[in-house]
Amino acid sequence: MNRAWTYIAIAIVLAGLVAIGLFAGRFVVYLSMRVLILSIFALGYNLLLGRTGLLSFGHAAFYAGGAYGLGLLSIHVTTNPLLGIIAGVALACIMALIIGFFCVRHTEIYFAMLTLAFGMMVFSLIWNLRDVTGGDDGLVGIARAPISLGIATIPISKTSHYYFFVLFCFLLTVVLVYLIRRSPFGLILSGIRENDRRVEFAGLSVKNYRLAAFAISGSFAGLAGALGALLESYTNPFSAHWSHSAEPILVSLIGGIQTFAGPIVGSVIFIGLREVIERFTQNWMLWFGLILLAIIMGLRGGVVGGVAQLFGRERGEASASGGAR
Amino acid sequence: MNAPLLEIRKLSKAFGRVITANNIDLSLEEGVLTSIIGPNGAGKSTLINMLSGSLPVDSGQILFQGVDITRLPIYHRVRMGLCRSFQVVNVFPDLTVFDNVQIPVLAVHRRARRLFRPVMREIDVRKEVGRVLERVGLAAEAQTVASALSHGDQRLLEVGIALAARPRLLFLDEPTAGMNPVERAKILQNIKGLSAEGKTTFVIVEHDMDVVFSLSERVIVLHHGEVIGDGTTQEIQNNPRVREVYLGEEVAA
Repeated sequence: MNRAWTYIAIAIVLAGLVAIGLFAGRFVVYLSMRVLILSIFALGYNLLLGRTGLLSFGHAAFYAGGAYGLGLLSIHVTTNPLLGIIAGVALACIMALIIGFFCVRHTEIYFAMLTLAFGMMVFSLIWNLRDVTGGDDGLVGIARAPISLGIATIPISKTSHYYFFVLFCFLLTVVLVYLIRRSPFGLILSGIRENDRRVEFAGLSVKNYRLAAFAISGSFAGLAGALGALLESYTNPFSAHWSHSAEPILVSLIGGIQTFAGPIVGSVIFIGLREVIERFTQNWMLWFGLILLAIIMGLRGGVVGGVAQLFGRERGEASASGGAR
Repeated sequence: MNAPLLEIRKLSKAFGRVITANNIDLSLEEGVLTSIIGPNGAGKSTLINMLSGSLPVDSGQILFQGVDITRLPIYHRVRMGLCRSFQVVNVFPDLTVFDNVQIPVLAVHRRARRLFRPVMREIDVRKEVGRVLERVGLAAEAQTVASALSHGDQRLLEVGIALAARPRLLFLDEPTAGMNPVERAKILQNIKGLSAEGKTTFVIVEHDMDVVFSLSERVIVLHHGEVIGDGTTQEIQNNPRVREVYLGEEVAA
């Protein structure tokens, strides 16, 4: 029964996403892409926050790693977007491995502060290395060249074309994160969140598993960053700013960190609300803060968690296995 | 011919001026159910913590099956076969009983790193989890969330998680703490049975004298970080020094 409803819901969402690409106006398509990219960022991030129980304030650094990796390759070497994305994700992954190596030795507040410190270092590096990164001007003119796959080439320069490419990357992320969450590795990450000392006494190196989770979430941040840079044809140092690191945290919290779909729903609400509120007032942060307050205090477990409880699904399913087993 | 299962050489540890382990020399033989007893503050927990890797030693050496493990990290010792359970309940509260046991079993089977394969499809692992739950008597509760178990069942689960790591040597830190008599009898029966199987050597840290004397083949008495008695239950009960510092205290109290 529940299963059938899940499939129906997935089918409706998929149809909706395709319909947006085919029929919606340019602005809606553009906003949808921003939602999808933020979802990729947050889905990966929530493997760390909701699953492993680690709060990072430095993931914008990896987002920027993806953006600058792609941007630099596109400007200096090749404009092939696939190679650019691979370069961006690889750069983000390497950065996450190096930064994570130092951070995972600590937990809780110390971990959070270390990630914040490293994030700020990456930001000021990008800001100051003018010759490489363009400093505060950022990288301008990142081309959206066609994707060449040997036999066929797919043009993505038009917004509606690029939308389907972003959608593809989003679906890939959904599938990968879903698989990771229900894999043995995913179970170990839950164990680390629940009781890290006990995982150590199960014969597993908690540090290595934390580092792996950190690098995986960093890589997804890199993918989001690369896609974002292609979307705007531009990237700037503020993509690495710590305030940008707050986005996946807020989005996950709004949607529900213990749910699979939470980060996606959170992204829709975050970007949608921002667009709406900004039409009425300049200080959208104030209103958004109030709404966030209401969601966090009123809906335990975020929007998705709250709705799931409303429909009387058992708590164990929603929390332990991510509601999507 | 064989090295003893665990050998401790001149192990010392002090917290400031409080000496909790003073040149302890001990060796534990395979298959001998041993108890470590002593009054509060005798250094029992410190000893267990040093042996299992939670606490660095000040000086001395720990050899497990002839290999120096003094400075190895916890998970490394567990993989070699040295594990422990905890005095306070120390399970994964929001996971099911099944998943609680599955984590160490995945580690033993070296499947914990699989990223994209559903954990449900690890048939061997699932079978072994079932066997462990059967052994500790929690098979009926497999799908219950651990925090919803009764205290006694959580203690059983605690032992189950420790056993699932397939230890050669297992320290049980006050396994019957806070249990009612029925649960206590159940878990003691379990420990006896598992010990008789011979795969795991049990070392029990206990407060409760009844438990100690009904179970153990060998008793080690600690006092102020020193071994003051070591022998069969009979020998310990007749040891004047032990009677003085330990049993005497109990009579006085």
